[in-house]
Order: sequence, then C-alpha cells, then structure tokens
Amino acid sequence: MAPQGDADHCRDKARRDLLALLEGARGKKNLVISQELAGPVGLFAKFSELQQYGVDRVFLLENANIDSSQRNVVFLVRGEKAHHVRTVAEQIKRLQNNDTEHEFSILLSPRRTLVSNTVLEEAGIIGDVNIAEFPLYFLPLEQDILSLELDDSFGDLYLNKDPGCIFHAAKALMGTQQRHGYFPRIVGKGDNARRLADLLLRMRKELDAEESSGLVNPSARGLLPSADTENLIIIDRDVDFGTPLLTQLTYEGLIDEYVGIKNNQADVDTSVVGQNSVSQSQESSKTPQQAKQGLKRKIQLDASDQLFNQLRDANFAIVGDLLNRVARRLENEYETRHAAKSTNELREFVNKLPTYQLEHQSLRVHTNLAEEIMRLTRSETFRKILEVQQSSAAGIDPTYQHESIEELIARNAPLKNILRLLCLESCMHGGLRSRDLEYFKRQVVQAYGHQHLLTFWALEKMELLQPRSSATAMLLPTSGAQAGTKTNYGYLRKNLRLVIEEVSEKDPNDISYVYSGFAPLSVRLVQCVLQKPYIVSLIKGGTPSAAANNANTASPGWLGFEDVVKSARGTTFSIVQKGDDKAVRARQTISGNNGTKNVYVFFLGGITFTEIAALRFIAAQEAPRRRIIICTTGVISGDRMMDAAIEKGSFAKAE
Amino acid sequence: MAPSNPLSNWEKVGDSFYRKIPVYDAVFDEDVELENYIVAGAPHGGAIALYRDENKPFRLRDTQASRSGINIYSCSGKLINRINWDQATIRGLGWSDKEELLVVAEDGTVRRYFGLDGEFTSFSLGNGAEEYGVRACQFWASGLVALLSNNQLVAVSKYDEPRPRQLAPCPEGEVSSWALSPPAHTLSRSVEVLLAVDKTVYLVDSTEAEDKILQDGPFKHISVSPSGRFVALFTGEGKLWVVSNDFQSKLSEYDSKSRVVPSSMNWCGDDAVVLAWEDEIHLVGPNGAASKFYYDARVHVIPEFDGVRLITNDTCEFLHKANEVTEGIFRPGSSAPASVLLDSVEQLEKMSPKANENIQRIRSGLPAAVDACIKAAGHEFDVYWQKRLLKAASFGKSVLDLYNSDEFVEMTEKLRVLTAVRDYQVGLPVSYEQYLRLTPEGLIERLINRHEYLLAIRVSEYLQIPADRIYVHWASQKVRVSTGDDEAVCKLIVQRLEGKPGISFETIAQAAYDEGRSHLATQLLNYEPRAGKQVPLLLSMEEDEVALDKAIESGDDDLVNYVLLHLKSKLPLASFFRMINSRPVASALVETAARGEDIELLKDLFYQDDRPIEGSNVLLSEALRETDLERKTEKLHLATRLLSDSKDPTVVLHQKLVSEASQLLKAQEALDKDLADRAEFVGLSLNDTIYRLFRAGYGKRAHKMQAEFKMPEKTFWWLRLRALVAKRDWGELEEIGKGKKSPIGWEPFYNEVLGAGNTKLASLFVPKCTNLQPAERIEMWVKCGMIVKAGEEAQKAKDLNALEHIRTKASGPAATEIERMINQLRPRK
Repeated sequence: MAPQGDADHCRDKARRDLLALLEGARGKKNLVISQELAGPVGLFAKFSELQQYGVDRVFLLENANIDSSQRNVVFLVRGEKAHHVRTVAEQIKRLQNNDTEHEFSILLSPRRTLVSNTVLEEAGIIGDVNIAEFPLYFLPLEQDILSLELDDSFGDLYLNKDPGCIFHAAKALMGTQQRHGYFPRIVGKGDNARRLADLLLRMRKELDAEESSGLVNPSARGLLPSADTENLIIIDRDVDFGTPLLTQLTYEGLIDEYVGIKNNQADVDTSVVGQNSVSQSQESSKTPQQAKQGLKRKIQLDASDQLFNQLRDANFAIVGDLLNRVARRLENEYETRHAAKSTNELREFVNKLPTYQLEHQSLRVHTNLAEEIMRLTRSETFRKILEVQQSSAAGIDPTYQHESIEELIARNAPLKNILRLLCLESCMHGGLRSRDLEYFKRQVVQAYGHQHLLTFWALEKMELLQPRSSATAMLLPTSGAQAGTKTNYGYLRKNLRLVIEEVSEKDPNDISYVYSGFAPLSVRLVQCVLQKPYIVSLIKGGTPSAAANNANTASPGWLGFEDVVKSARGTTFSIVQKGDDKAVRARQTISGNNGTKNVYVFFLGGITFTEIAALRFIAAQEAPRRRIIICTTGVISGDRMMDAAIEKGSFAKAE
Repeated sequence: MAPSNPLSNWEKVGDSFYRKIPVYDAVFDEDVELENYIVAGAPHGGAIALYRDENKPFRLRDTQASRSGINIYSCSGKLINRINWDQATIRGLGWSDKEELLVVAEDGTVRRYFGLDGEFTSFSLGNGAEEYGVRACQFWASGLVALLSNNQLVAVSKYDEPRPRQLAPCPEGEVSSWALSPPAHTLSRSVEVLLAVDKTVYLVDSTEAEDKILQDGPFKHISVSPSGRFVALFTGEGKLWVVSNDFQSKLSEYDSKSRVVPSSMNWCGDDAVVLAWEDEIHLVGPNGAASKFYYDARVHVIPEFDGVRLITNDTCEFLHKANEVTEGIFRPGSSAPASVLLDSVEQLEKMSPKANENIQRIRSGLPAAVDACIKAAGHEFDVYWQKRLLKAASFGKSVLDLYNSDEFVEMTEKLRVLTAVRDYQVGLPVSYEQYLRLTPEGLIERLINRHEYLLAIRVSEYLQIPADRIYVHWASQKVRVSTGDDEAVCKLIVQRLEGKPGISFETIAQAAYDEGRSHLATQLLNYEPRAGKQVPLLLSMEEDEVALDKAIESGDDDLVNYVLLHLKSKLPLASFFRMINSRPVASALVETAARGEDIELLKDLFYQDDRPIEGSNVLLSEALRETDLERKTEKLHLATRLLSDSKDPTVVLHQKLVSEASQLLKAQEALDKDLADRAEFVGLSLNDTIYRLFRAGYGKRAHKMQAEFKMPEKTFWWLRLRALVAKRDWGELEEIGKGKKSPIGWEPFYNEVLGAGNTKLASLFVPKCTNLQPAERIEMWVKCGMIVKAGEEAQKAKDLNALEHIRTKASGPAATEIERMINQLRPRK
C-alpha cells in the first residue's frame, strides 16, 4: 500500500527538508555542521547537491575555524545538545566582532528546544539569528535499517540515565505511525522499552487531543491502527548486554570491530586497500584536512556494492570461499571476450565492461580487507579472546579463564578487549566474585593507568560489570521464575537454546551462525514473538510439526513464552492499540488480509551488525509474509559500549 | 421580493464588464466625517480601522479622546472595538492577512494587535527609526516596510519573530510616492520596494537600489498590481500609465484631465486601476478605457486582490470585474448554453414547452452549462439570483444521465456560509474568491475575533471543521469577563467543554492567569491532557514542583532540562537539591549537565546526597585535567580524604587505589629526576613504567617498583620478557632461561623470542616446556628450523606419523637422519 518504502521516504524527506532550509538563506553560504551530524547528512545528501543550493564551504563546528568568507553562515547542530548550541553562540559572537556583516541561521535538528533558546538568549544573540528546525529523525542505512544515528545514545541511556533518546525515538516512531497508522500491537522487553511504549501511547493520546485543533496537518487526522503493519517489537539493549560484548563474527561485524563503520563508511588504511581511485581523489583535493590524513581511505559499505551485499552477513569463516568464487566467475566472464565472435557479442561485452570494472574494483578492496582481517583473526591474542568469550557464553565456570585474561592484561592487549571480557563474564554469570573483581580492578588499573578507576565506576553504574550479588541462586539454570533485575543467561541459554554447537557457518540453519554457535538473546526474543513454532521445536527437539505450526502462529505477543521471557531483565509487555473497530474492519475488507505485513523491530540503545545479520536471516525466512524493518538508536559494538565508559584522560602531562 | 435586475449595477469598461455591488447601506453615522479619517481595511472583507487624520483641522467640540484613538468597525459599520493610542504620531496603519492590526508610530514602535480585542505585542523597528522618524508605511499579507525620513527603508517580513532589517540604501531626493511588491511576486523571494524619486523610479531590494531610468517623473502615485505583473504610475501631468513590472513596456495610458492629484490609486483586480478623488472615482481599464462614478461625500477605497471596496458614510460597495461565467450568462443577448439553461428554468415555471426545446438545443453543451451556472451562483451576491442559478443547474443536471453533483453540493454549502457571514450584523462581505483564499478555518477565525461564537460553531459543524479553537476562545473570554467565583467558572467551563476533542485548557488557564486568577488557572490546567503544554505556564505561576513533575511525565528531556535550568537559577541550592533528590530522572539530567559545565555544583550535589565515591571521582577527574604535578597530587589527596571514613570494602579498595595513584606519581617523579632529563615516566601506568625501566636497562629499579606496588609475579615476568625482547637483550633472556622455574611457564619465552626472529635462542626454551604434549614440542622445534631435534622428540614419543610428516620438510643431512629414525621406529617386518 505504501507507495514508497520507509527508507526511501525518510531519505527523500530529510533531503528535501535540508535543501529547503538551505534555500531559505539566500545566496552563497558557508555551512558549519557539528561532527555528529556530518556523517548522517552524508547519508542523504551529496556535497554537490549542497553546492547547488549555495553552500560554498563546509566547516566542522568542532574545528572552530569558520571564517568570514561568506556573508551567510548556516549552522547545523543538534538542538538537544546545549553545549553545541553554546559553541555556536560563541562562534557567532566571534564572527560578529569581525568587521564584515553576517547573516546567521541556525538549523536545529531535530527540533528547536527551550534550552537552546535560553542559551542563545543568554548569549544575547537570539535576536540576530534566524532559527529553524530541521526535523531529522530516522536515517536510512539500508532499505531495511532505519537508524537515528545517535552516537551517544548508549552512554546517555545507561550511564547518564538521560531519557532524551527515548523521547527522540518516540518522536521518530510517531512519524512512522503517522505514515502507516498505529502499530496494532507493541511488544517489548526491558524498562526503557516500556518507557518508550508508554511515550508512544501518551503521544498518541496527545495527538488525538491535538488532532482536531488544527495544529497538525490534516493527513494525521483520525489515525487508525495500521493495516499493513503487524507489530512493533521494542528490545531494550540492557536486556541483552552480553551479545554485543562478544566479538562479531560476520564479515561486516568484523570490519566494524577492527576498522569501525560509521554512517555506512569505514576509514581503512591505504596500505590495506590501496589508493583512492581517480574519481574520489578529485573530491578529496577540495578538502585539505582529508588530504593531510592521506593514509586513510573512506570505503562506502552499503547495498550499492553488490559484492559487499553478498558478503556482509556471512560468517567470516566462509568469506574467503565466497571471494574466491566471485573472483573465478569474474575471470570467466572476462574471458568470454575471446569467445565473442560477432560484432554483436563484442558490443554486448563492451557494454558490460563498466560493471566488470566496478565489480573488479570492489573485489580487490574486499579481498584486501578480508586478508587483513584474516591476519588479525589468526593472531594468538584473537584466539585467546575468542576462547574466553566462547566459554563464557557457553556458561562454563569462568574462573578457568581468569588466567587467560590475566595474561592478556600482562601482554598489554587493548583495554577494550579486556573490559569486554570482564563485562561479558559479569553479564553471563550475574557478576564477578567480588574477590576476582577486586583483583582485576587492581590489575587493569596498574596496567592501563589509575584513571580507569573512573572507567570501572562507570561500568558498574551501567551494570555491565558488577560484583556478584548474594543471590547466587540466579546462576542456577533451573530457577527462571523470578522476574529479574538482571538477565539470567544461565536459564535462558537452556530454555531458548542460545548455544548451538553444530550450526553450519556455510549453510546456516539458525541465527547462532553469526557468533559461530551462540544465538544473540535479543534476536531470540524477537523469534519468540515471530517464530514461535521454531523456538518450540528448538527446545523440544524435532522439526516443527504442521499442527504446532498452525496452533502457534496465531498467538500474538509473548504468548507461550511469558515464563521464559521473565528471566530476562526488565518488564515484559504487549500492548494492543485499538482503534475504531468499525473503521478497522472496513479497512481490512478493503485492503484484504494477505498482503505483506511490516514488522518493526526497534533496538533501543543500539544494535550490532551481527544482530542485524541475524534479523535478516529471520526476515528471509519470513518473506514474503512479513517484512522486517530494523529500527535503532544507532549501530553499536562492544568497543563502542566500552567507549562510553572508558575515561579518556590520563595522568600524563598534557603537552 | 422583486428580483433585482442582475445587470443593474454593471458598467462596461473597454471590452469587459465591471460590477459595483452595494453590500451594505447606512454604514457610518452622519457625525463620523470620513474625510477627516485615515482608513485602513483588512483584506478579504475584514475589519476597517479608522484613525483621525492629524493633518485635518479638528473641530472644537471633538473631545481629546476621539482624536487619539483607533476605531475598528466592521464593513457594515458596527463598532467592534476602540483602541486608545497614547504613543507618538501614527505613521502607518495596516492589517496582516490574519486580521491583525499593525500600527507604526513615528518613533519606530510597531504594535501588533491581534484578535481585534486590544491585546497587542510590540517591537521597535530600530535601524535609525528613532533618530530619523518613520515617514510612511506599506503593508503586505505578512509584513511591512517602513520609509524613514532619511529615505532609508526598513522591512519586517514576519511578525511572530520580527527582525527588522534595512534594505539597500536609497538615493537622495524627494520620495514622491512608493509601493512594495510582496515576496511572493519577486524574483529574490524577499520584499522589493518601488521608490519614485525625482524623475525616475528605483527598485530597492535588500542588496541594491536599481534605477529604472524613467524620464517622466515625479510620479505622484505608484502601485503594483495584485499579481505583481503590472505597475501603475500616476504622473504629475495627471496621466495614468500602466507598465509591465520590468518597466520595459508601457501597456496603456489614460489622461484623467485632472490637475488635482487623486487621493489614492489602487488596482481593481489585475486589469483595472481605480483613481479616487474626494468624491469621484475613475475606473480605468486596459487601453485607457474608463468609467466614472460620482458620490455625494468622501469615498475611501480599500483594495482587495479581486476588486476594491468603496466605503462612504452611506454605503459599502464592492467593485470588481464581472467573472467570465457570470458575464456569459447575463450579458445582454448572450446565447451561451448556461444562459439558455437559466432561461429554460423560467420557461419551466411558466409550464412552457420551450423549456424542453431549449434543453434539447444546448444538449451537447449541457454539462458545461450546469457547471457554469454553479460557478456563477458562487460569484453572485444576491440571494435571489443565487437561487435562480442553482435551480437552473439543478434542472440541467436532472436531464443529464451522469453528473457528479459534488460541486453542486459544495457550492450550496459555501453559499449558505457566505450568506450567513455577509449579514449586516456580522459584516463580513467576503466574495467567493476571497473565501477560497481565506479558507473556512480563516473565516471561523474571523468570526471568533468578533465573538460570534454561536455562528462560528454552527459553521464549523456545518463544514465539519474542528471547533475546539472556538470553545477555547469562548472559555478564555468567559474567564476574562466573568465575575463569579473560581469554582463556579471552572465548573461552568469544564461542563460546557466536556467531551469536546482537542480543547487546550492550557490556553484558557493562561488567560485566567493573565487576569490574575492563578487559582482558577491551576484548576483549569488540571484538565489539560498534554503534560508538556502545562509546563511553561506552571513555571510562570511559580508552581515549581508541579512543573517539574509534569515535565518529567511528558518524557521530553528538553522540558525537564528547561525547568531545571529555571529552578537552579531561582532556588537556593539546598532546596534545589531537595527537589531533584526524589526524582531520579531530574537528578540524572542535572548530573549530566553539571559534568560538562559546573563541576562545583556536582561536588555539592554528591556531598549533599552522601555519595562519597562519586564525589571523589569528580576530584579524580579534576586531577586528570590538572597540568601541574603538584596540583594533581593535591586533588588526589582530596579524593582519598573523601573516602577515608568508609568501612565498605569496595570503598576501601577504591581509596587504596586512588592513593596508589599518587604514590605512583611520586615514584615516577623520582625516576624522572634520577634517570632522564625530560619527564619520561610521569603519567605512565605501573606496567608501562616497569616495562620502560627494563627496556632502558634499569632492572633493579624495576624490581624495586614491583616490590613497592606489590605487582604479581606473573605480570612482572611478562613485562620483563616483553621488554627484553623489544630491547633484543638476548643475553639477559638466556640468563633468565637458566633459571629453573618461571611463573608464566617457558612457552611465552619461546613464542616471544621466536616472534622476534631469534630461532636459536627460542630453541633453548623448547626442552623447558615440559608440560606440553610431544606433538606440540615437535611443532616448536620445526618452527625453529631444528628438524633433527623435532625428529628426536618424535622418536622419544614413538610417533611414527609425526616423523613421516617431518621427513617431508627435511632436506640434506637432516633428511637422512630422520630417515634413520623412521627406520628405527618402524616395526621390523
């Protein structure tokens, strides 16, 4: 029914909005953009497009190097970040002291806030600037991934306990609801998830109240439960801290672990992937900062690269094979040029040449990248870390692994890796024994600096790394009844079959392939809602019988798994959003009941690439009945989780 | 009622017809002498503001009050409101399209009255307006331009957040007339001004003043047509010119033969210009064709986009070009199908068979004729003819087999609404075209402004438009005027509004609060469903706690932050902390914000809350930020002191580690002093310190550090191993290798040394790895390139397969050696 996918819609809307706002400042202008928005803007607008709309040069807010070369200066920052707005105010005041006259505009994304008003008022410039809102919410990373791209959301949510991103998420989801109608059912797990759902309900009520007051556009009026949407599943990240702490083993996941992917781009060493191709070098010459770095090359990682699209979700173990196969195919196809006899055939071949070259290029990049990662995965440290992780995930007594961790510390392995291992143990086993915790605290502090006392404190506050509470009973895999303040992996491992040893990486039959034998709990929970028969068969053994299939598919929400789900952390809920019954039925008759239904899966606090891969695996199974759209506050990895906690300062003298 | 002749007020100008429709009569009392007033009318049949022209002589009996006030009338002459004016002389009087009255005083003060009931906001034009004084003002739908007496132009393009800005500086000279071209019609999308200076006209926008190079000035009047395509100029010789907006071509000229400059010149639609003298009107169409009207008294012209309103004491008339459809039907001798259709209704009433004959004659054009009749009905002001035309349409469509009646139905609805608001008691003479631009919502807004609540609600119900604004306005008004006690008023309002969707109680409460009835305001606020909406008002009512709770309830972090910011600056610190103490979200947000900008607040907060670890953490991070070593240790010392009272084991450990940090710094400082000229050790971690000591060859000191900080043996060994390997200190490593035991085993030694490329030394460690499997040791030998040794190992383990495997790698003498071993091991046959 929707003429346009959500992803395209979001992209178009964001682009239109931004360009219209830029057009609002007449003539040529300089654009000052905050770092955290620069990447996301690149997702929907090209620099050339901005140029068409009068943007002369782009500055980063953080560099504070905006000059007076243009009369018009447009700032683009997040309105919720008071300190960014303050920086903007400072820079405006600095420019005002110059002799040249300026026109200032501030675009606040996604909304103009009272706090930013206050800041600008205090700075005494609110009267001199044009302020506009740039309602940027969901950004499409892929056709099936909508991300808010809030880099700080993890830290905000769990360390600072700042609910801002929940509100942001709720606004974004309201946008989706206004497009499609209300989610007929909101299923979720976790306290923040509950908060998000409550906000959605509340906003709906407020919208109903506002509906007729002419404040909203008429299209939002009389919203009904959506006919093409099945439900919204909200998973709070703190339900499953364990999964992202593991090293991701899909191709895209590993790139993220070792290179880092941001806004679909990875900065890879040129020594690995070679120099920029010609077309890109032209662009880089424009921005001198980029040329200076020189050693890195930006690689676009998204579905536009066909080869990458094939590789991204595969377990890394088979990536080599896949690459070989593609290389051979390309070789063969290229060889057909000798076979070409008639001019027609020749012309056909020539027409295909550009595609070959593109594919070839991408093949070279990915082969190099894969080799580099392969080199890393062969290292002893990697093997040790993986071993510790796998045994932690499998629930084997963690004390056996302590020696390995100790050794890794002594060998100066990256701090993030050490912390991830410790946090993983804490999550999987309900905390560390306080003796062990103290021991490791001391070790880490001595090895990496005493500033990490703050790191440990932050991790504790985030409940990632804790001393084991007296209620060790939780550890026992059998007692699943108590609704937890912690996720009881012991119980869930058994009752949701998180560990599957015999999973095939080549031809996966279960989502556990993404961690080579460990199924992400978060995604298992999604399966509890969407693929009940499969989970039942997993637990009971055997294949899902046809009877069970029919009986269970109809049961909505958590039905059938209430008890199991209870042992994961936080509240469990399943809310039906009702509308006017008559209208719903009328709509159903009109639209029919057998179209593809959308399922929105929202990961609050971030999602890993492995979980995305796992969800895509499910989506492939569910197609064409369902279309799974993954929404999240941002893409996360264990390292990024640690980043939120790690103290950046050190005792060394600042030079 | 006898049908009026539809052609009675038609006037032919050139090829087209104009209609001058009397809308109201007996508009103003005789004692309102219109010639002494400046008149400004709101667009779309809106209200009229009258202000006594100060240049005209006052009569003695005029009281002071009547001089210094602005009277707002409806078009039918009903006094809506009186606004007292005690500011400087009024230099501009105009309306926005939302029927807000704008008054510009000589000193640059602009007041914007909304809702016709005297409430206003004001702002100043600035930009030198105070110094030089405002000379005149021109208005468009959403903005204004003021001309200062120094010829500078100041534009305001929106009233919600007015930002007066100067246009390009203008040439010197006497401005004889000027006009503006609203942003919608200009290329630059911002307002442009035509300024007639001396003999020519300048086009002024925000960046430059362009001389249009005309020779025939000075122009006494200048006016831009509603579509922006034409400009009318009135020359000093009494001639009217119409030129294209680029001043390239002159489209028509008309000689008024008058020596007196007209009092006003306005466009009537896009095709004609109205020149007005005291009591005479010239309507000038294309090609200089004109028509004249004469009045008994002063006539004022109020321009609309589709015509002009003519106001005299006696009448209010609407002069506009007859619409094509209307013209087609009513023009004498018209044979248009629609005209025939109208005629056949008459025949039908006479029971004449000609009715059918007519219909058959126009059969092919019938659908179009029906359409035309419907459209013409809309443009008709006379109810009689509206009915006739609709009847004709109805008759016509009854003959048709298939006709979509939506338009017919809509038109009847619209006409009903229009008729209702055109009633002289309401006094909104909106033409059909104006209504389309005004939109039903806009119309209801105007009804609300006139407190015509009942009619507004009827209209909104009839047109199915949300009525909440009407209710809210009514309730606010009720709050303002009622004198009853708070409970009763609240009850009345709540009862009346119960079950109505979308009611903003916050607005009503605001009205109550503005009236000084804060108790009533609080009561009303409780009915507001949107928590966020209540917050600002609650804050201004000093209901701080409630405001904070409502903000938290709304889930909007910005609102919470805003309230907190407000409270922090207002309350004493202790009560502020008390307030956030019981609200985790609030205290979390305060903490986060303080971390970035107000460390002292954070310390106070943790102290008050008795959170020693966090308090000491703040000091710890401060220590990190200090650059001076002494200050660093000082802060660390403070941090430990905060924790010294606690018995909690985690706190004790924390304290120990913090003091260890300063101990380490001290030790490192000593190292720096002794060993290097430049700071090399300060700030390193303990492990790095020891590593570096080994690398630099200070083994003893490293041992001392280990003892001082109780570093575990294993770690220490690892560090030494790595440092020595990095230093390539093979001798020392060999020395260590002579020892019996290693807490980390010997395998790491083998690995690290091998990794550094010293196979010979690495091989020394292989025999020491006694806890490994033989197979592993074989592999180790092989890696060192010692095939024979590997063979021996295999031989010892009696592993034939391994030996055969080794043989494949061996060459030269080693190969024979291996062969020998295999033979030894192979069972004799």
